[in-house]
Amino acid sequence: MNDQWTERLSEYLDGELAPAEQTALEAHLPSCDACRTTLDELRRVVTNARALDDRPPAADLWPAVAGRIGLSARARTRPAVRRFSFTVPQLAAASVVLALVSGGGAWLLGRRGTVPKRSDFVSRSTAGLLNASAYPGDARFAAQVADLERAIAQPGRLDTATVRVIARNLRIIDRAIRSAQSALAADPGNSYLNLHLAQEMRRKLELLRQAATLAGARS
Amino acid sequence: MELTTPGVATLRRDPDQRALGDAETADAALAASGDGRAFERLYRAHVARVHSLVRRMVGPDHADDIAQDVFVRAWTKLATFRGDAAFGTWLHRLAVNVILARRTTLGTERGRYVDSADILDGVAGRAAVPELSMDFEEAIGRLPDGARQVFVLHDVEGYRHEEIADMLGIVAGTSKSQLHHARMALRRHLER
Repeated sequence: MNDQWTERLSEYLDGELAPAEQTALEAHLPSCDACRTTLDELRRVVTNARALDDRPPAADLWPAVAGRIGLSARARTRPAVRRFSFTVPQLAAASVVLALVSGGGAWLLGRRGTVPKRSDFVSRSTAGLLNASAYPGDARFAAQVADLERAIAQPGRLDTATVRVIARNLRIIDRAIRSAQSALAADPGNSYLNLHLAQEMRRKLELLRQAATLAGARS
Repeated sequence: MELTTPGVATLRRDPDQRALGDAETADAALAASGDGRAFERLYRAHVARVHSLVRRMVGPDHADDIAQDVFVRAWTKLATFRGDAAFGTWLHRLAVNVILARRTTLGTERGRYVDSADILDGVAGRAAVPELSMDFEEAIGRLPDGARQVFVLHDVEGYRHEEIADMLGIVAGTSKSQLHHARMALRRHLER
């Protein structure tokens, strides 16, 4: 079987023929058993292609990948301390930016009388944060964030590089929190997402605590 | 940008898949900040698809090495992922780029885009008896390089001819011709 339309059947199948060609081929098909048969077979090929299952590699590639990117096979997190080993001027400068970026929220909370005293903050447990679905309505989390931001808001010189590093890390974490919240909005009962959001909230607190601790030690 | 990859289109429509995509976006952000466990989750979620793509595009011999390359490249490029599309879409396109970059070292050159059906005739004729006929994956693997790559990118992965032409450095007409020859060869395989 090979007529003038044989080489055009895939284009017809994909809807890529010009209207006039499509009309002509459709007029040809009723009288051509070979073209109809071929067209049906091509459809089956396309159907098979779309139904192919993805198969994982026979051996786990993760150990090799982890080794090549400098992680252990168990994918340990890069040492977070490396990201926070700033000098005192750098921390002081960063605190100014933190205050500018989010200090407004703390000020507003303070105006409403909801910001706890610093001594209260130290004694607080973060266990309640495991119920992440309460975020962002969790006033305790917001208060802790605000308290820490104020704690590290020490006057100092601005260091643009440090500002960028801290601001970037906060943006990343906030982005992760927003993404988790968005996912939870679609699936509120998803335990993985709840845990994931809780982890991100703790991560933000930990970042701020480390910065506050270092700033306090150097001030 | 309209997403044409079948799996990606599903992500856009299915709320559960969309939620999963959001979680992956979060993991991508964490991984970009150095979280190895987040990156491992992404690896686990996508390794089957990436490995299958590599295996279909270049064959099984180099699939493990190139799949590793894809994830190593992804780790170094995570900062460029902005979440505008699904992480899987970003990773998939990155995988295609890695695979195509390896074509040269693997001896798969542009000249392999033969425009004749003759070379494809043998694809369906290698199995001596029907009960021992190769499966569909194996038949794809026996296509000439050019026809196989176009077929995989178009019919399996859902790219358009214009995109394929851009990726492979050919014209759209050649992509269409290669696709048709590949389908015709595989059709003969299905006949048995």
